[in-house]
Amino acid sequence: MFVFATSDKGGTGRSVTSTNVLYRAALNGEDVCYLDFDFGSPTAGAVFGVSGVERGTTQGRGLHRYLHGKAVELQRIDVWQEARVLGGRPAGAGQLVLIPGDEGGGEFNQPPSDELIQRCADLLSHLNEEFSVILVDLSAGRSLATELALAATGLERMSRIESRWLVFHRWTRQHVLAAEGLVYGVNGLIRQAEARGHDPVIFRRRIRFVRTATTEPSSERERLGGLSAAQVAWLQQRNKELDLLASNRQVGRVVRLGTIPLDPVLQWQEQLISNEDVGRGVANEATLEAFDDLAERITDKSTWEQP
Amino acid sequence: MLTLGEVHTGLLQNSVPLSAERVAKVLRPLSGDQIQHYERPLTRGVTADRPRGVDCRLPAASKANPHVVGTVMWRSTVVGGHLVQGSAYADVVDTGEKRRLPWSHYTASPGRLELLTRADTEDVAQGYLRGATRPDHLDTAAIAAHALDRVQRSALLDRAPSLKTRRTRLRWAVIGTGTMPQPTTATFRVVSPDLRTVEVRVADDLMPGVIGLCEDLALHDWLLTTVARLLDNTLTTRRYGHVQRTELLRPAVDYFLHLWMPGARVDESLTSVWESLERRPGFTRQWDTSVARIRDQINLTTIELLRLTECATGTSAPAPRGRPRLPLGPRPPRRR
Repeated sequence: MFVFATSDKGGTGRSVTSTNVLYRAALNGEDVCYLDFDFGSPTAGAVFGVSGVERGTTQGRGLHRYLHGKAVELQRIDVWQEARVLGGRPAGAGQLVLIPGDEGGGEFNQPPSDELIQRCADLLSHLNEEFSVILVDLSAGRSLATELALAATGLERMSRIESRWLVFHRWTRQHVLAAEGLVYGVNGLIRQAEARGHDPVIFRRRIRFVRTATTEPSSERERLGGLSAAQVAWLQQRNKELDLLASNRQVGRVVRLGTIPLDPVLQWQEQLISNEDVGRGVANEATLEAFDDLAERITDKSTWEQP
Repeated sequence: MLTLGEVHTGLLQNSVPLSAERVAKVLRPLSGDQIQHYERPLTRGVTADRPRGVDCRLPAASKANPHVVGTVMWRSTVVGGHLVQGSAYADVVDTGEKRRLPWSHYTASPGRLELLTRADTEDVAQGYLRGATRPDHLDTAAIAAHALDRVQRSALLDRAPSLKTRRTRLRWAVIGTGTMPQPTTATFRVVSPDLRTVEVRVADDLMPGVIGLCEDLALHDWLLTTVARLLDNTLTTRRYGHVQRTELLRPAVDYFLHLWMPGARVDESLTSVWESLERRPGFTRQWDTSVARIRDQINLTTIELLRLTECATGTSAPAPRGRPRLPLGPRPPRRR
């Protein structure tokens, strides 16, 4: 199964959420693979904590060069072995593989050629022989990487492989509107997909939204870190308005796959959150649960039945 | 004399093995009607060998990087209607000619790479087995992968294979030992989880048969690797009960165990190579161990089920002490 992660704006926590979700899926025994398609800024290596690929690989064997036919062999990083904090694959865990971008690769600057599309489709279907989840992290906004992903999965031979799209957005008015535009807009994902051979009705069912960095306004002041009653009331009002806005714009609860709470650890550093981080009280348990839930929902068929 | 090659092996992306007729349909876009079909010992469909032009360097061990021009042959094979192989190979020849000749010269002898610079056979063979490191190096991996990808592209496949498997790659070099009969040797190495190399030394006249030998070797190595991985997964997974765990082994029993026939389609004059590989690393010995482990797992599960049935009908003694191992129990809670 392919999972494409995208967002309209930068700073939505798309990459950090995707890496953590994939890590949880691997812990639960799935063989998973992460493809860094954020060609302009491939930083998945930094989030996974793999030394030497923080800004993409420098070995010349990353995705950018491979897709352009310039790399002899694609680099595969066994994250369990290479990540500083993980120290080996736990018993019962699945494979966790990172396929990095190239440092200094740059965004694609022209529409994908047929050769590039076929090569990308071959790569995706080759990985699908081995992994149960292949997560493709696309860059923010409309990009040629997205165009390539849509074109490759739009080929007839790829249509039998399950693919899913996650749109990440923060919980603000601007982000909700931006997410709506990215998916349903004039040059949005659905239109783009249709132009690349996807059935728009079926494609639409493959899209779900993920809210990130959210706080749940409640009257328990402690939980909000000592906000005043007026502040809490204001937040609750905004939250209600946003809920209404989101559902009017088809970004609401029905098509939401998950909500990732704001976590101080992730605000300060984009990294994997481990059970130990939660055990030491550094990271919140709710964050880990949100990652686990999302990991489960991505592969759970019933979640993806028509909303 | 020197022949270099590479074979990639993987699972055809279909839920069940294909009939010989379907295999022919899947292969037709690759080679028209020129498909060879074999019924025994296993069904096997093979496309005609096709040339691919190259003008590149060879990754010699000494970093001499000799220049070659010519063609690499490639073909695709479907074995047992279920496994697929992409194969690429070429002879490396020194004709004494150091100028690059018109392309028609090279196409006239397909599957031959002509050296334009001096090279030492041993040096080239060792460098090749170590692998390409520069974009201008001979890249048989890409050609073999392409030969495999072309089969997997077929719209006739349902893309619902019974399990996830990893492709394996076998890179090989055959060094001719001359025209006098010499003892045949083969050195097999496991380089990484998916890459193996084999270095074969045979008399010159036996060299053409080695391509088939390496394909056969690659196929059996894939079977061994895949079944071993499946067994490991079954023992370490924490997602299933006893029966569900054993159920994971089903694809091996249904589809793979009967494919084990090492050397059955290898040229008789080369059977000594298989025999030496059976001594070390001992493929069939490893395979028999895996098969025994699978059967043991299945037997244990059967006993477990019988015991539970007896307990349920009150015809047996109470269950042994300790943690009950319910085969159909609920999924254990996830690790947080």
